[in-house]
Amino acid sequence: MIAACAKKKAVQVYVVTEEKNNIHQRSCNTRVTDDLVDGFCMCVAMETQYILVNYETGDVRDLYPISSPERKPFVSRIGKEFLLPGPGIGVFVTPAAISERPPVKWAEDVNGVGFLYPYVVAMDTEFLTIHSILDQKQKQAIPFQNGCIIGDYEGKLFVASNKDVYGLIPLPVEKQVQALLTDRQVDEALSLAMNFRQAGLSKEKFQKMYTNIQQQGGFIKFGEHKLDEAKELFIRGRLDVRELICLFPDLLPSSSYFSRAVPLLHDYADVNQIVHGDAERLRECKEFLVGFLEEVRDLDASTGYRMEVDTALLKLYAASDPKKLNNFLTIENRCSLAESLEALGSQGCYHAQGILYKLHRDHEKAMNIWMRIQDQELVDSSFPGLDFIVEFLAKLSDHELVWRYVEWCLQKDPELTVKIFTERPEDEPPTERMRPDTIIDYLHAYPTAVIRYLEHLVFQKKLEKETYHTHLAVLYLSEVLKLRENPSTKAETLNLARSKLRHMLQFSNLYRVQVILSKVKETDMYAECAVLYGKLEEHDRALRILVHKLQDYGAAENYCDINSKGRDLTYRKRLFQILLGVYLDPMEGKKDSLLAPAISLLNSQTADFDTVRVLQLIPDSWSVGLVRQFLRHSVETNMHLARTRKIQNSLSRNENLQVKYHMMRQRREPVYLNEERLCQVCNQTFNEPKFVRYPNGVITHTHCARNKTICPITGKLFSIGKEAS
Amino acid sequence: MSTAGVKRDIKVVIIGDACVGKTTFIKRYIEGQFTENTETLGACFYLKQWGPHNIAIWDTAGEERFSGLNSFYCRDAAAAIVAYDITNPESFQRLHERYIPLLDAARDEFLLVVTGMKLDLDQKSKLRVPSEEGEDFSVRLNHDRLKDKERFAKPFFETSSKTGQGVDEVFEYIFQTLLTHGKPLSPQKSIVDLEGAPPQREKPTCC
Ligand SMILES: Nc1nc2c(ncn2[C@@H]2O[C@H](COP(=O)(O)OP(=O)(O)O)[C@@H](O)[C@H]2O)c(=O)[nH]1
Ligand SMILES: [Mg+2]
Repeated sequence: MIAACAKKKAVQVYVVTEEKNNIHQRSCNTRVTDDLVDGFCMCVAMETQYILVNYETGDVRDLYPISSPERKPFVSRIGKEFLLPGPGIGVFVTPAAISERPPVKWAEDVNGVGFLYPYVVAMDTEFLTIHSILDQKQKQAIPFQNGCIIGDYEGKLFVASNKDVYGLIPLPVEKQVQALLTDRQVDEALSLAMNFRQAGLSKEKFQKMYTNIQQQGGFIKFGEHKLDEAKELFIRGRLDVRELICLFPDLLPSSSYFSRAVPLLHDYADVNQIVHGDAERLRECKEFLVGFLEEVRDLDASTGYRMEVDTALLKLYAASDPKKLNNFLTIENRCSLAESLEALGSQGCYHAQGILYKLHRDHEKAMNIWMRIQDQELVDSSFPGLDFIVEFLAKLSDHELVWRYVEWCLQKDPELTVKIFTERPEDEPPTERMRPDTIIDYLHAYPTAVIRYLEHLVFQKKLEKETYHTHLAVLYLSEVLKLRENPSTKAETLNLARSKLRHMLQFSNLYRVQVILSKVKETDMYAECAVLYGKLEEHDRALRILVHKLQDYGAAENYCDINSKGRDLTYRKRLFQILLGVYLDPMEGKKDSLLAPAISLLNSQTADFDTVRVLQLIPDSWSVGLVRQFLRHSVETNMHLARTRKIQNSLSRNENLQVKYHMMRQRREPVYLNEERLCQVCNQTFNEPKFVRYPNGVITHTHCARNKTICPITGKLFSIGKEAS
Repeated sequence: MSTAGVKRDIKVVIIGDACVGKTTFIKRYIEGQFTENTETLGACFYLKQWGPHNIAIWDTAGEERFSGLNSFYCRDAAAAIVAYDITNPESFQRLHERYIPLLDAARDEFLLVVTGMKLDLDQKSKLRVPSEEGEDFSVRLNHDRLKDKERFAKPFFETSSKTGQGVDEVFEYIFQTLLTHGKPLSPQKSIVDLEGAPPQREKPTCC
């Protein structure tokens, strides 16, 4: 058995003996002083092996044999673990007698160890070697001859040689980190710094240091072209993006107040020192910057230097990606104007220059540029063309400015130009300059443009002004006349123009019919003529044209239908009657030639007739067979109508009765007769239950009521059959 | 490779003669590639996530001078990969003589997977450890485990870290066997019996 005892307040001496074999044990205690962090554990170096003793329970656990007995064994404490020497390595042992860290490699002749988190300092005959317990790697070696004692006391490390005692003072964390960064060991530097937070550094101080390391590390990674890692570090280290922008020559606007942070985060003058003239790598770096700026743009990290970010982005896009550039310019941005213009100009992005001017509300300059591109003084394939200019002018609220460019546009494309006026914003306040009359006057020289504009006023805006309507009708007409004069006009084109004219003549009720009619009458444009007569309500004439000149019976029937829209039935019947009259008029044309259309009109679903008048009109010579269908239909319709009326009548009467009944119920109240009740005529009491009540509530004897319809007191006249009681 | 404070569910060790390819084998599994690596000093370990489980894989050094330490490093392991070089029968011989005894500290249910390495050199070499010998050996080693579970595949594999052949299968076999066919084995009780005190890595509650 091995016995161990600890006296807390007494001198810390442990005696370890083994009774059975009675072997003398050399013990190296583990300084089980007041800080018994491991609780009940003691690690003991025996002559042949290391053991772990739980001195409360007395449990003993073998660790491993000591391989070279000539060397002095030792045991040291590393936090809650023990560190024991093995063959050329240091072995970590937990109080559970297992190892949870791989061993550290050190010299064969290590004879003592000191610990200062996270470093283990091992002393051999010639060196002090320093290892990290985190990655078990050796970090440093300090020459030190003949060391004999090493130890950590209250957080300080001391070493002694034969003659002297030295204190070992670790470099401040910052220095250690900086040294690692100088060696480009970014990950190491970060994990070292992170471990020092555990070693107790104020939160703010730590945060400041850590972000600085991240930023520096980012630049190191950037220099090594590890762009993803660099980005991560820049973003997490909340890098002032200008630090990165200024690496690229000419990207940072001259108006920026930026100067690099001191001490410098890196020692690159510019990106060329990183890419060494490798164009592909430079392109990748720029692409990286674009991605980074795009990401950062919406983050807090860019607040305060949006101008720099946006200008840099614009310059980068201008050089590489015109599509993104134009997109970028449509969203809100804070580019520096002068610099951006210059950058865009040097890259030939003239259209973008225009957009930028527009963003800065310098519409005149914007228009100047676009006009020059349109006139091919400047070349920029990304310019969308005249449509774009027209659209821009249509939205421009400075009307004076708009007018300055109208003439130029009209010369390019009159019809397109009209959009400047027709596609103005709904909510634009009207001004003198944008009055329709002004516009029409201006467009005068360009008939197609005027037509477009008037169409807009009449059909879209539905302005009910005679002059517009007449003007449009006249223009349509002259267009048709012009086409008719030209013998090479295709039938299709002419038909289209005429149907447009007819539609206008039919659709509108506002134009001056006589003006148009006087011109149309001179031609053989009968259809138009008919429409015009219709507008003058000269239906007989109109229908005669349709029937005799055009022989278009369908159109004639349609005419009646259209012209009776919005009128009462009598009017409608009259129109159809007129048409029938035209068909049956014996004076015109050959007799009976229009028999067929007349019959089909009579039988038509659309037509409405006054049957009696039709019968008067029909020639006696017609057989009943001819009009049989019409007659039957008329009789049926009239019967149906009469019956419907009767039903309606009865229903109304019934309703009236109901209403009366309800009214009476509302007004009903009892009449009380007693000795005190006197007849209002003779002032005598009532001796029998008979009495008379007038509708106005006057009560009398039956014999005092001489006239049922006149109130004997007030003289009021009641109508018979109505409110009589 | 920071390893402090890692909670692990099971521990797997690899043992065998120096230079049979143990380190290369583990790196092949963890990193997915063949690495010409340097020697292993004492021991080294790697962490692997397998489903919800954390697995610590300990690599040991085969050299004679570390043999004393190996049994310490193998402590608490749930499985061992017993490695030999297929083209070197001597390395197979030594397993029985030198390395299996190291595992005495391990518990009975211990899974021993006999694994031949460098299968890719198989053709070029005149010498070869016959597969049947390896297989027999594996059956003998896992006698208790296998006797009533006929359906288990034999814990024997021949692999090559160079081509990757059979490497993942070894680990898959171990994890399947230990983590799904039965509950993972609870860690052996350490000598420090704290009588229901909190687990070793938590701060002790003494005064
Ligand atoms: N051809 C071949 N060589 C291997 C293979 N595995 C390991 N080696 C080589 O064998 C040597 C020893 O490997 P190492 O992993 O250090 O062995 P360890 O001492 O058991 O860890 C190295 O040179 C490896 O490149 C293998 O599967 N095929
Ligand atoms: Mg190795």
